Amino acid sequence: MSLPGGLSLEDPIVKPGVSLRSLSVEVSDRVLRPKAPRWWWIGFGCSLTLVVTLLVAVAWLFVNGIGIWGVNIPVAWGLAIAEYVWWIALASGGTIISALFFLTRSPWRSATNRIAETMLLSAAACAGLMPILHLGRPGLFYWLFPYANVMGVWPQVRSPLWWDFICLLCYILMSAMYYYAGLLPDLATVRDLAPTRGKQILYGVLALGWRGSVRDWRNQQTVYAIMSAIMAPMVISVHSVVGLDFAGGMTLGWHDTQFPPYFFFGAVISGTALVLMLTIALRHGYHLEDVLTGYHINALAKIVLVGSIMLAYAYVWEDFGPLYGSDVAEKAQLSFRLFGFYAASYWVKIVLNAVVPQLLWFPAVRRNEPLLFLICGGIIVGMWYERFVIVVPSLGRDYTPSYWGLYFPTAWEWAILAGSIGLFLTLFFVLLRLVPIVSMSEVREIIEKRSRNEG
Amino acid sequence: MTEPFGIIGVFETPEAVKDAAAQLNRLGFRAVEAYTPYPVEGIGALIHPGRKLFLPLLMFAGAILGACWGFFIQYWDEAIDYPLNVGGRPYNSWPAFVVGAFEFTVLVAVAAGLFGLLAASRLPRLYHPIFNAAEFERASRDRFVLCVEARDPSFEPTMIRRVFERYGAESIVEVPA
Repeated sequence: MSLPGGLSLEDPIVKPGVSLRSLSVEVSDRVLRPKAPRWWWIGFGCSLTLVVTLLVAVAWLFVNGIGIWGVNIPVAWGLAIAEYVWWIALASGGTIISALFFLTRSPWRSATNRIAETMLLSAAACAGLMPILHLGRPGLFYWLFPYANVMGVWPQVRSPLWWDFICLLCYILMSAMYYYAGLLPDLATVRDLAPTRGKQILYGVLALGWRGSVRDWRNQQTVYAIMSAIMAPMVISVHSVVGLDFAGGMTLGWHDTQFPPYFFFGAVISGTALVLMLTIALRHGYHLEDVLTGYHINALAKIVLVGSIMLAYAYVWEDFGPLYGSDVAEKAQLSFRLFGFYAASYWVKIVLNAVVPQLLWFPAVRRNEPLLFLICGGIIVGMWYERFVIVVPSLGRDYTPSYWGLYFPTAWEWAILAGSIGLFLTLFFVLLRLVPIVSMSEVREIIEKRSRNEG
Repeated sequence: MTEPFGIIGVFETPEAVKDAAAQLNRLGFRAVEAYTPYPVEGIGALIHPGRKLFLPLLMFAGAILGACWGFFIQYWDEAIDYPLNVGGRPYNSWPAFVVGAFEFTVLVAVAAGLFGLLAASRLPRLYHPIFNAAEFERASRDRFVLCVEARDPSFEPTMIRRVFERYGAESIVEVPA
């Protein structure tokens, strides 16, 4: 018997030793154990330090305004916008794994979807922060809400920027609801295993009295399946609209019909790469090698490869357009991107997102976890450069040479980048201690199918 | 002695619990419920048969409501309350409202799904008599629990115990109300 993808039986979806009992006890133990492992404290401590950096940078920004940043005319969008796109792409990748691959009934999705969704909620919080910081008057961001107010003004709802606001808002709310609908049965398992009174009450309240009756399961399965079918197109809409933010502008290098799918491809590769990194880390950090196996890593690595090919395709068309067309300004913009001041960023993104991931064609690379971790880390850095290349050189070389300029991020902008990474990790570390990181109810079904096949 | 809530049988395999449920069904018991650590295929047809369309229809209704709400709020804004002339385009420029309307549609549908799920399962309900049975907590881990409730008109403890025993129940417990 061979498994799909040419894997040997050494890499089953669940190791043979895992039983219903050991699965529940082992996974619940990761949230119920009284002491977090040392790596958790080190990671959490470092992330929290970065959050303090973020707080200082944001406080200074709110006191002084965005003059402390390097953004100016003509480059009025800087790191904050590039990082908004970067974070929302990472978040979207989480939904792609958990919703899209639920619909395809991919078995490897069952153990990784909780990691993906926890990552997505943490990353979406960072994404939501960025545009607010970028507003000149962040206190007035609520003007974007469409509500009848005494000022008598409404947002301009024909603008992609407003669409983007609504998409992000709905996306965060819907992701939290989707997360909870899938989490409910697992919270009940933790409740029933909780050793102390305090944890019994905490998880008892969070599980809302879930009993796992036939009726409970039928309702949960129905709603979860429909939610997945909604979340899959929803996440495509979210990242496409981010693409429209740019495509809707007349700026050179942005005004391109391929932007919505181009951005979506970026979400596929970067989100999956981050989930793969977290899976590798948690697999060893939490000793979950029995449920997060080589099968999952191989499957995720293939998705990263597919994402890389799709993204490379978009890169080709992005540069082919100006070459094929007859617009001199477009050609000048292209040559500035490829060979101008920011050329290094362009080539870094090409190498890290389109060239290096081709190593994933080799099964030996897909089995080599340290190398995979490096490749995926490279992709996440490469995606940051891609966002930078889209935002900055495009604004810096407009139609008129009198409107040309360069942009240098200041220390405060780098502090916000570091701080947002800290915020992401802090949220992830906290959720890691609160919720079971593997969906136990779904892995139980896989164990059940396995024992039925054997027996 | 007061009336108990019911009798539970704890089974080790999904097949055993399905067979026992089928037998109880044949004997005419109706207030039967199974508690399992994951959705067991085919047991729904024995315990709560029939098509359950409430939640899909509720989510669909949520989607329709959200679409109308999302479109109307944009139409009201751009065409009625705060009309802005943008390059001579019509005030009711509906193609530009599609994205917003879509987001409201899916948001309300998903919210209807989550809250409908809770309502249809009568949650949150932190206390339930079944929690009185110490054996019950394994139903969220590795055991399959079948419960015949005392409100069943043909509730008859000895017969139920015999059925549970025949299908290999690990333990059979009377749950106090």
